[in-house]
Amino acid sequence: MDTFKLEIITPNGIIFCSEAVSVTLPGEEGEFGVLPEHASLTTLLKAGVIDIEKSSKSMESVVINWGVVQVTEEKVVVLVDGAVAIRGENESEIAKALDDAKTLMKDIGDSNVALASVSAKIESAAHRLV
Amino acid sequence: MANLKEIQRQIKSVTNTQKTTRAMKLVSTAKLRRAEELAKRSRVYADKTNEMISDLAGQINCLKVGGIESRCFAQIDEVKMVDVIFVTADKGLCGGFNMRTIKATIKLMNELKEKKIKVRIRGVGKKGIEFFKYNDVELLDKVIGLSSKPDMQRSAEFITTSIKDFRDGVIDGVYLIHNGYKNIITQEMHVDRLLPVMVEDFDCEKSTKKSLLELESKDDEKMLDSLVTKYVEYNMYYSLIDSVAAEHSARMQAMDAATNNAKEMAKSLNVKFNKARQESITTELIEIISGVESMK
Repeated sequence: MDTFKLEIITPNGIIFCSEAVSVTLPGEEGEFGVLPEHASLTTLLKAGVIDIEKSSKSMESVVINWGVVQVTEEKVVVLVDGAVAIRGENESEIAKALDDAKTLMKDIGDSNVALASVSAKIESAAHRLV
Repeated sequence: MANLKEIQRQIKSVTNTQKTTRAMKLVSTAKLRRAEELAKRSRVYADKTNEMISDLAGQINCLKVGGIESRCFAQIDEVKMVDVIFVTADKGLCGGFNMRTIKATIKLMNELKEKKIKVRIRGVGKKGIEFFKYNDVELLDKVIGLSSKPDMQRSAEFITTSIKDFRDGVIDGVYLIHNGYKNIITQEMHVDRLLPVMVEDFDCEKSTKKSLLELESKDDEKMLDSLVTKYVEYNMYYSLIDSVAAEHSARMQAMDAATNNAKEMAKSLNVKFNKARQESITTELIEIISGVESMK
């Protein structure tokens, strides 16, 4: 199966760096998906959720507040300001990640509609894990 | 006996100094660990941002992407005035750390002056500011307290003036000078041109991307602008944390050297003290013996 390398980098370090099958990004003009060998592209990202389908078929979600993505045929690099990965071994860890994600969203102080839609996405991502 | 007392006093003073320098070294070591960790984690982000921006700038220049007239990527032929920003520490006692930054700043200033370019200096860090003040060099603005406690927001506010002036055409370039952390014993001078974005190292021939670059946003200028702003702001912030890490490593070294020197000095003073003591005992003995002799 074709994969590409995905890197998500925050000022505090790399939070995701591995092979992925596909990724969905919250672009300025709406969500878009990236598959391997996608044409080169550079665009801004707004606050939202990055959904990653890993090579093991499992899904992972990362909440971001602002970002830039550079897509090339072989690699996708996402630079973000703040990010929280929704993952954890048990329920309490997931709940903590959820809380972190919500605080991150609140800090942006974006419009309520955007906030609500992102919150909904975060919740559904968490449900998938449980 | 007066001599003995004097030496004793000296020994005490030197050992006290040694205690202070050793404590300072320990403090720096502890602080260095934290600063180093922060700098290391941020380096990845800084490197990636730089890579992305230079890649973009290179492609824009090579492929002559139309419609992009942002000054940030343009080659400015006639440079009239530039901003030079230096980052030094707020505190001394760290060997030649601050001086190296100051020297690099002066060197760059002279180079620019030779090219008949006016220079606006913006200073961060008390030590550098004091130096230029003493030498009657005018600074555009001075920020104290930022280099010892790097703060994303404050550094962004600081650099925004330069970005704005550059966009408005008041200045034609922004240089950033800081002494960065290389490893625990070496620091590295960085003199970087932030704006316009460097494109010299980009090799058009080498770029073997299969597809052409596509900028996707309602307004590609807006996206480039916000990317460049982020890039400059982050570089500024990164130079601050890099500088803090370097400062602590420099201070740690300087204080280690000072402790060793104090140890050496205390040792040689001790020898001197013992000799003087022996001497005084000998003199006393001779006096007693000769006294006894004369009584015979």
